[in-house]
Amino acid sequence: MLNRNLVKFLSFRYVILAVVFVILAGGLVVLPKFNPVKGIEPTQLLNDAISPERYISTDELADRLINQDPSILLIDVRSKADYDKYALPGALHVPFKSMWNDEFDAYIDQDDFDVIFYSNDNLTADQAWILSKRLDYKNIHVLKGGMNEWYRTIINPEKPEEIMASNAYDLYAFRKAASMFFGVAYPQKSAPIKVQPKPVVVSKPKVIVPKKKKKKMPVEGGC
Amino acid sequence: MGPLIPNDIIPMEWNSVIALIIGIFFGFILEASGFSSSRKLAGVFYGYDFAVLKVFFTAALVSVIGILYLDYLGYVDMSMLYVHPTYLWGAIIGGMIMGIGFVSAGFCPGTSLCAVAIGKIDAIVYVLGIMVGIFVFATFYDFFEPLYDGYNYGNITLMDSFNINPYWFVFLFTIAAVLIFAGADLIRKRVKKVFY
Repeated sequence: MLNRNLVKFLSFRYVILAVVFVILAGGLVVLPKFNPVKGIEPTQLLNDAISPERYISTDELADRLINQDPSILLIDVRSKADYDKYALPGALHVPFKSMWNDEFDAYIDQDDFDVIFYSNDNLTADQAWILSKRLDYKNIHVLKGGMNEWYRTIINPEKPEEIMASNAYDLYAFRKAASMFFGVAYPQKSAPIKVQPKPVVVSKPKVIVPKKKKKKMPVEGGC
Repeated sequence: MGPLIPNDIIPMEWNSVIALIIGIFFGFILEASGFSSSRKLAGVFYGYDFAVLKVFFTAALVSVIGILYLDYLGYVDMSMLYVHPTYLWGAIIGGMIMGIGFVSAGFCPGTSLCAVAIGKIDAIVYVLGIMVGIFVFATFYDFFEPLYDGYNYGNITLMDSFNINPYWFVFLFTIAAVLIFAGADLIRKRVKKVFY
């Protein structure tokens, strides 16, 4: 026994399908346009932003520079004039505004080096970090405090007072030694011999082989 | 995310396996909907059966609408899909030869193999004809080569060459398809019924 209503309904089946079809196609036209988001999820970005791994301290950086750690890549995001005046040894100058050009992208977007951004303070380097992180660049860090902190702690370390704990003295000894390594001369009280100040070595930027992007397989197809 | 194989989500080695599975379903559905009958296929030229026109038109539109939605939602990167290169004069002349073969024999290459599978003698002759055609083409390849390789316009699409919005294009194309289907039905009602 056939359901009469169903038969009546099904006699319009092609019309209904055609209407569905046109509605679906029309939906494409009225969809709001947007540029699809490239990069990581906002929650992931937030997690990474509050993670302590984001920063590297000046002491750690000095230690790694003295030990000639080959795995760090310093990126100077300050202006060209500042970079020419003084830069950390081995730093590569990448102006903040042209950071994501094809020219510099290959240096920053790679997995082989610990990329460390620095500016005069945290601000510009942090912006560079956030924007790069959002594009899912790996192993990027910010020098905590930037160049100001570098001067305050490494180049011109503060002498601890006598009531301070012994590790403050250890830290001071390390920082003083590091500052000597980076070319600061300390007048010696006991010996009148002048220590020849070591010249500040502003070494040339390292030659870094940009990571080759994984080549997508060509797609083949046919009838 | 997609397409799955170029993005290494499915290893490339599965290519042939997946093609085989899709091919089996394609052949099954062609046969199940009666496309292994040359009379049904030829009907579109004589006006008594427009199933071929409707099916292939609908299939193309369903896939293009689906892909556009998937691209919009970010599941398939449309720029990574394969676009067949356009060899203009090769396509025109080849299309004419294919059309003549289609209307005279009542098969397209795909449906002829379906019909061979169910043992139709005209389809077996047709497939032998395809083989002869392939042999002739291969033998005189040097002669055909300028046509075969020439006039290459690259992997272009209608949207590229006319510089139109794909969404509007698909929408208008859908409306045109529905109108064509309705018109085809009107023609079919006026033409004398053929029983096959």
